[in-house]
Amino acid sequence: MKALENTNSNHILKTADISRTITRPETKTIVDSFSYDFKEKQIYTIVGPSGSGKTSLLRLFNRLDEKSGGTLLFHNEPIENYKVTELRRRIALVFQIPHLFEGTVVSNLAYCCGDSFVNQLGFAEKYLSHVGLPANMAERDPNSLSVGQKQRVALARSLVQGPEILLLDEPTSALDPGASRTIEELIVKLNRELGLTIIAVTHNFEQAVRLGGISLFLVDGHLIESGPSQELFSNPGEELTGRFIKGELR
Amino acid sequence: MIDFGFKQVAIALSLMVLAIILARWQKVGTEKEMAIGTVRSFVQLVAVGYALEFIFGLENLFAILAALLVMILVGSYTAAQRAKKMPQAWRIAFVSILAGSIVTLGLMLVLRIITPKAMYIIPLGGMIIGNSMNCAALVMERLHSDITGNRLAVETALSLGKSWREAISLQFRNAVKAGMMSMLNFFKTVGLVALPGAMTGMILAGASPLEAVMIQIIVGYMLTAAVAVTGIVTAHMAVRRMFTRADQLIV
Repeated sequence: MKALENTNSNHILKTADISRTITRPETKTIVDSFSYDFKEKQIYTIVGPSGSGKTSLLRLFNRLDEKSGGTLLFHNEPIENYKVTELRRRIALVFQIPHLFEGTVVSNLAYCCGDSFVNQLGFAEKYLSHVGLPANMAERDPNSLSVGQKQRVALARSLVQGPEILLLDEPTSALDPGASRTIEELIVKLNRELGLTIIAVTHNFEQAVRLGGISLFLVDGHLIESGPSQELFSNPGEELTGRFIKGELR
Repeated sequence: MIDFGFKQVAIALSLMVLAIILARWQKVGTEKEMAIGTVRSFVQLVAVGYALEFIFGLENLFAILAALLVMILVGSYTAAQRAKKMPQAWRIAFVSILAGSIVTLGLMLVLRIITPKAMYIIPLGGMIIGNSMNCAALVMERLHSDITGNRLAVETALSLGKSWREAISLQFRNAVKAGMMSMLNFFKTVGLVALPGAMTGMILAGASPLEAVMIQIIVGYMLTAAVAVTGIVTAHMAVRRMFTRADQLIV
């Protein structure tokens, strides 16, 4: 399965010199002058060794954390101009470890938007089918699900918000290889069928290649290089990228 | 009627000596602490006794308010020491204890349950401040540990477009409940398990048990109102310091 190619599409998220500096436990710049323009309906993977600032960068995109400097535009509008709850519905984030709330699968799906959604005919079926889960799972207790199923429910739940961008923070790191492949296929499918812009964080460059699209390679909060995933990791332009591929940077 | 004075205290000291001997015999290891506690409580309470005698003698509203302010300052500091992880814990405790004290003491005065005399305001204020202090500390501790311990749940809710208020509604409720729990438990067991302090004190001082019971009921209602006000003010102030204006969790 290949990611949706849309070279003529508009930029949905533009970043210019964004950075984030934390002061605890020590003062440290974890995202450093990051600039990149993301086009809509594309798959992007942010790849890098642990501690390279991948997740920190992702959390700036939906304002879960505040940037210390730079400009971040969503549809050419500074993200600060959006009501934060609205921004987060339009730029959804799925965490590395899925958290499902007490209740049922369907109450989780309706979490963002209230009970009126639950009562819509075929509501659960529609969103569960998006993530390849059967409709009869709707009434299940989330605690009875496998981690892979939980991750798929978390993905479905974020789709209910009607996002334009889906941020995925290491979505397969807690899964076995089989379940990981299922999620990878699902990510490509969501991009292709729903036209979602997807920005996924991964420490695994092979996964980035499997997902296709564009990869951005990050080290110590710096964007080292970017390009089509297959090309970037088979023929890296920077020494650091080459060292990462060889497993010298972890 | 027995008159309680230094003579009786000196005799009662034999009980502490007995306790210390028992602790030493059983190698509990608390003898030193008990000995220091004996001296310390004696000095502190006698000093407070003289201070109260002085303030009661003045019958001056400013002196009463000054005494209450000192008690609130010490109470806020103690509460803040117990909730060290909470940003601006001292300020939160001060405002919330002050609010609990003003509302309850104010209402008691306005409704003429008590008159503005030192003999009413100081002891009742002390009870209010003591209970409010514990409540403020508990609410801050619980709120901080529940929110940071459930960071993923809170941030998941935020990422699903919920406001900070919605994202922490459960933790907020549980923290306020924890702060009020001692008063709620008090109502369940009062009179059945132990006779409460104010009532015991009044009976020892020669009041009729029925009169003592009435005062105790008033004290119970007053303290519940105080911890409710303090707990809610504490929780509101504390959560505002845990989130930015853009609903970002910062602790």
